[in-house]
Amino acid sequence: MAGRSTRGINGSNGSRTAPARAAALADLLHYECSTLLELFRKKENFTEDVTDRRLVSVPPPSSQLDTRDKLWRIHSALLQCQKLLEKAVAKEEEELGGGKKGKYENKRKLVKERLPLLILSTGELLKAAEGTTSLTPSVEGLEVNVPTGLLDLKLWVYRVYKEVNYWSKTAANTLKDLPSVIVKEGARTTRARNRRSTRR
Amino acid sequence: MAHLSLTPTSKLISSGFVWLLWIVLGFSTSHTHADTGLTVPQRVTLSPNWYTQELSISWLGGGATTFDLIILRTEFNETVFYETVSPTVNKVSGLHQWTWTSVNPLECTSLSVKICSRDGHTTSEWSQTETLQGNDHPNSEQRVKVFPQDKVLPVGANITFCCILDEGMVLDKLKYDGNTTSVTRLSRRTYSTTVFNLVASRQSGSNMLCLPEDKEKLYGAVVFVGYPPLPIDFKCETHDLRSAVCQWGKGRDTHLYGSQRGTRYFVNNRDCSEVNQDVGQKEATCTLDTWEGNWTLVAKNLLGQYSLTDTAELSHRVCPVAPDLLSVVADAWNASLSWHWKYDSYSSLALVCQVEITATEDEKLIKRVFSGVGLRSVFLSDLYPDEHYSVKVRCGAQQNFWKWGNWSKLSSFKTKTYVPDTPDAWIWLNTDNTGKVVWKPLTRRQSHGKLTQYEVFLWSPEENRALAPAVTLPPNNWSMPVNLTEIAFFSNNGSVIAKVTARNDAGSSPPARVHLTSVEPLAAPRIVYTDQGFPLFWENNANATCGYVVEWLDAFCPQDCPVEWIKLPAGTTNVSIESATFQPGVRYNLSLYSCSSDARELLKRWQGYTQELVPSVALTLSASQQNADILLTWKEIPLVNRRGFLLGYNIYNSTGYQFKLLENVSDPETMSYTAKGFTKGTFKFTVKAYTAAGENTGTTATVTIEPYTDWLILEILTSLGLVTLLLAIVTFTCYKKRKWVKKAFYPDIPEPKLPSDWPRTRGPLDVKPSPHSMVCVVETPEYDCIKDMLVAIPEEDEDDAGQGIGDESVDTDEPTSLRYYNQMVDERPIRPRFPDSSASSISSMSSAHTDVTYTGIQTSGSSLVLQLDPQGSSECHQPQLDRSVSYGGGGYRPQMQPRAPSDDMDLSSPESFLEPQAACSGGYKPQGSWQLDSPVDAAEMGSLAPSLGSPTSVASTQFLLPDGEENTGEKRQLSSSAASWLTNLLSSTKP
Repeated sequence: MAGRSTRGINGSNGSRTAPARAAALADLLHYECSTLLELFRKKENFTEDVTDRRLVSVPPPSSQLDTRDKLWRIHSALLQCQKLLEKAVAKEEEELGGGKKGKYENKRKLVKERLPLLILSTGELLKAAEGTTSLTPSVEGLEVNVPTGLLDLKLWVYRVYKEVNYWSKTAANTLKDLPSVIVKEGARTTRARNRRSTRR
Repeated sequence: MAHLSLTPTSKLISSGFVWLLWIVLGFSTSHTHADTGLTVPQRVTLSPNWYTQELSISWLGGGATTFDLIILRTEFNETVFYETVSPTVNKVSGLHQWTWTSVNPLECTSLSVKICSRDGHTTSEWSQTETLQGNDHPNSEQRVKVFPQDKVLPVGANITFCCILDEGMVLDKLKYDGNTTSVTRLSRRTYSTTVFNLVASRQSGSNMLCLPEDKEKLYGAVVFVGYPPLPIDFKCETHDLRSAVCQWGKGRDTHLYGSQRGTRYFVNNRDCSEVNQDVGQKEATCTLDTWEGNWTLVAKNLLGQYSLTDTAELSHRVCPVAPDLLSVVADAWNASLSWHWKYDSYSSLALVCQVEITATEDEKLIKRVFSGVGLRSVFLSDLYPDEHYSVKVRCGAQQNFWKWGNWSKLSSFKTKTYVPDTPDAWIWLNTDNTGKVVWKPLTRRQSHGKLTQYEVFLWSPEENRALAPAVTLPPNNWSMPVNLTEIAFFSNNGSVIAKVTARNDAGSSPPARVHLTSVEPLAAPRIVYTDQGFPLFWENNANATCGYVVEWLDAFCPQDCPVEWIKLPAGTTNVSIESATFQPGVRYNLSLYSCSSDARELLKRWQGYTQELVPSVALTLSASQQNADILLTWKEIPLVNRRGFLLGYNIYNSTGYQFKLLENVSDPETMSYTAKGFTKGTFKFTVKAYTAAGENTGTTATVTIEPYTDWLILEILTSLGLVTLLLAIVTFTCYKKRKWVKKAFYPDIPEPKLPSDWPRTRGPLDVKPSPHSMVCVVETPEYDCIKDMLVAIPEEDEDDAGQGIGDESVDTDEPTSLRYYNQMVDERPIRPRFPDSSASSISSMSSAHTDVTYTGIQTSGSSLVLQLDPQGSSECHQPQLDRSVSYGGGGYRPQMQPRAPSDDMDLSSPESFLEPQAACSGGYKPQGSWQLDSPVDAAEMGSLAPSLGSPTSVASTQFLLPDGEENTGEKRQLSSSAASWLTNLLSSTKP
């Protein structure tokens, strides 16, 4: 994977492709989120791994999925992650915050700011892959049930971080595995759309 | 059974055993208390406070004042509480009430309560059991599994948690903040644990985790541990003379944060929490619209509250706001500063204001204080012209001063320029009456603006006119050359003053005056530098009307020297001269001049070093030998290189590894030294000059003292001459006294007395052989017989003979003539002294002199060596004689054959040839052809060979060949050599 990632980033033409940039961004987000998880685990003395209860709901992965479906899947998952993360941060700050800001709070802020960038990148790729008929996923109706107890809140926040961590990694892997032909086609489509929008 | 009917609605139908116990107890009670008359408590109700874990129990209980109360954990029927209590009674309703606080959260498990009335030792029957259902009840719909939830406790408190597992679950462990705790089982599904002495928790609280063996499940609760608030320093003041601004410190960290658990503040019941939520801010403020005079601060959190109060009159708590809109109007030496106040009410307020002025050039801070009612402008004096300043102001109430208000913003301004200060001028003259007028550069503070030029006038005070047009110099030039000789010509030998002025945009400075007069030099005593400089003292001079000038410069500067000076006011009698330009090792001349309107006068002069150093250069040293002494001479060290007052010289002599001080020459004027006591050899001398700082490196000269060659040669020649003279005298004496010498050392051998019938004609030698077969000249009895033997040495081949005999057998140093023909052969006919030839022969032998030569007694082969029996050598003489006598005809037998072997002789043994008898009786046997077969024999022969065959001198009884015996042989060699020498000498001296 790493080798493919390298080839994607440093292609023969010497320029990074959009999937490569998105994959790099996903890698970075994954790294930051791993650090955030570790900080949270240390802060709360969570020596045991808490239950992996999935909070993000997307279609299961399959070898039958084409590139567009794969992009749609990770994009949808990341959108849900963003909504969960924003809620988690706000609730945590409301119920458990108010003190001095430290390393954990700074890292949390960083992850929260980078996740939309990755969503933006995957959204662009999805639009490029789908052409003019873009069917981007939506989280308008997604309900987030925040636990009432403070420990349950902590566990829920932890699960949200794990979801972000998992989906950033999945996104990185998916983006690195995208066929270059599709990517080029997608890139051409994106450029064509850009030209059209410029004419308008 | 009546009791059974009392509890038809009981929901606790969990254990048959427990019910059986109740039935038995009911029967017992009914029978025991049937006649007591005490009323059984009725209508027992339980009211739980879940957060405080308090259970309020109320009942109707008749006239009794005390009641027995029992509380059980319903499921395990474990007694939690059983005591006699005195409840409070509501007199209106008659309801008794008592509150019990549970250690465990009330939700943990179901509790059953019963009450009975007590009067002394008499009790009523138990009331109906009232049960508080816990969350471990199967019908409970509570989804929370760990209690208490989100509790806030003070530091040091204890807390008991309980965890209710789902049906069928098994508890693994309970953990508090990562640490496993001990567990107590309260019911079938409920477990509890207690944490003691809680420590302050982090911002997000401490976690209590309940971990079943089923890892899929995780329950828990959070507890916040902290402190109640403790604010400090609560004070209120006014800025606008109307409202109140209260301030306080937040005090210790409560460890409780956020809107739900953080501290809330109230001042006179006004909520001031919103503006003080920042945990990083240690100070809190709250503004009240009116001055109330009394204020109360209440700080609250979930653990408690704390109050502080403050009381003050408005006039005592005035803290003016910072002055605003500062403006400055500056002059050259002063400035006016004004500002505005935010509140008009200040116009009637007596204010005291602090002004801080900072000069940009040197960052020097000036603080000045002004006061006045409604003060809004001040006058700043004593500023410098052409200077940048920054200024700020703060004020306080002049009366009942409370505190300074905040500083205003900085305001900058610049003062105007002004004419420069008078330059500090002086004159330096060389010895040839040339020199220069010098002045010190004006500093920025002295310039009062950017300098444009300097001007120098030569002024005649008598004529009150300028002698020449003013000389204009650029501002970076601080000297002007002068020639007193030329000036004297222009001034008609009158006095001349140089006037120096500086000019800037504001104008010219007042002139500096310098008298252009030369001065006579004075003797300069030494002066010692101290920490404060060169301390100079002098008596006051009445002529010094305008003070004194002390001038200093490098003493060895030859021309146009960089002179420094300081001007002192009149009346000064001492000063310490210190300068940044002083250098160690440099001699300075310091001169004191008086200043008057007429002229300058040199009053005193000194010389000194700030720090003496060792001389910087080595001496020029030369050394020479003068007879037996060594003269060292050196040259004076140049003054510049002395770097201190020279105190003398140290002279060292280095011999190998030693460096010895020979002499300390304490007179620095001495330039030579004579070193004495040195004999032949090479010597190194080092001369070091020294000052108070020590010696310099020194110079080394090497001197080699030559021996007295002439005298030595003379002595040798003299000695040789004396020896020659002595030899000549001895020779001459010997010559003159040769007869005596001859007589004494070489007397004539008397001629043999021949009988008358001795044939005179020469015929064949018919000497009757002596009884001895060999010539044995015996002068001393110690001579052994070996000397009596004659040994023939081959004439032709000495080497062969030598080889045959042995190397050491022949004295090869002797001349052949001595070895073989060393006898003085008398040519005269032999004249027997005795008539009997035999007797003559005997006599001849006894005289130890014989004229027999052995010229023909040899063979061409190897020498015949007759080996004597060593043992018989000492006995040789007499037996020889005896044997010779016994053998009879022992005459000369040149070709004598070996005698026939006898019985006691072994022919096979070489010794047989060495028989003394044979040697002695055999006579001379020169042509013996015997060969020695055995090397032993040869060696043995060799040991004796040196004596064998050695002829004796005609004049001596000694053998000419060395004896085989070493010691005696050596002696004989010596005596033989001496005898030979003497013989030769005499022979040579024979006429």
